[in-house]
Amino acid sequence: MKVLLFTLLLALIWPAVTLSAETLYEIRVDGLACPYCAYGIEKKFMQRENVKQFDMDLEKGVVKVTLKDGEEITESQLKQLFDDAGFSYRSVKKTPR
Amino acid sequence: MEKMRYPTAMVLGFGLLLGLSGSVYSHDPVFSPGPHVLFKEGIEVHTELYRSDRGDKAENETAIAFKYGLTGNWVAGVALPYQYLKEGSERNGGVGDITFSTKYRFWRQDALGTQESMAVLFKVKPDTASSDGVPSTGTGTTDALAGLTYGYESLKWYRWASARYRRNGRSDIGFQRGDTFLVDLAGGIRLTPPDYWKPDTVWLLELNGEISQRAELDGRELANSRGQEWFISPGLMWTVRNFAVKAGVQLPVVNNLNGDQNESDYRAVLEFEWHR
Repeated sequence: MKVLLFTLLLALIWPAVTLSAETLYEIRVDGLACPYCAYGIEKKFMQRENVKQFDMDLEKGVVKVTLKDGEEITESQLKQLFDDAGFSYRSVKKTPR
Repeated sequence: MEKMRYPTAMVLGFGLLLGLSGSVYSHDPVFSPGPHVLFKEGIEVHTELYRSDRGDKAENETAIAFKYGLTGNWVAGVALPYQYLKEGSERNGGVGDITFSTKYRFWRQDALGTQESMAVLFKVKPDTASSDGVPSTGTGTTDALAGLTYGYESLKWYRWASARYRRNGRSDIGFQRGDTFLVDLAGGIRLTPPDYWKPDTVWLLELNGEISQRAELDGRELANSRGQEWFISPGLMWTVRNFAVKAGVQLPVVNNLNGDQNESDYRAVLEFEWHR
């Protein structure tokens, strides 16, 4: 009985756990030399409803963006976003969290 | 009335540098333009306090300006100054000429922690201010300016260069200030590595040159009008995220003015800027 209950509970929770996986995008960007100039990047990301967290490391040229559950940004969208902000998109590394 | 407008216009040949060629925004030098533009659909609100002294002539000006990022490389804006002028015992204040401007960054090279770029810029200042009062807050002319600017910025060092040419119009009474060629070199240093979320300071030193032709009245050159002035200009940019404060002082180092004219004592500016 205990095993059955545990299995049922696991069956209920598992899809929720897997579906709620957020994704961390670590985006390599060139041209980041000035925090004030880089504000446009934050603005562009925060205009999107699927962005949960935003951070930037100027010295490493990395923009870190966490997207909400199951959301995605394509590479062409990233390229366009950085182009509109005045910087050069180079690459992205996606990590489920 | 016409006799009064002549010396006034001479003063404004100096004073309206802010309105048409000196006023520069974003993460560019304080007294000269750089290639910075605004992100697409971004809005820049800029206000400033400006003071210049030249013998018995003084100008205090405050201005508000708005810019809009048409693309990630192209910005357009409008600026409206309010001036308080003093010339000898005469004083006058009022809204100055409105200025429309645009800048297009046509070349950009990005690398890790560095950005190098070039831009062209254009400004036009129509004759919108009132010519009543002495000194007048308007030039009574439509003037235009075109320029080319280069900039390199890194996490530590900055450098800029620019050249601009201002074509001054002729007033209704036949007075025309001489055209002006402006050339600038600037350098900057950031002493502590930047953090996106923390305040950031860049220290600046500029060399600003202004080479002006003689003014004309009814086609005749005026002996006591313009010439050359060169300034050394220390300044700083302090920013935190989307808010900036810029300040600087222009100190004359070379004065080669034609005939008998007052030399510049100093110019100072304090700017506040916000990006949305």
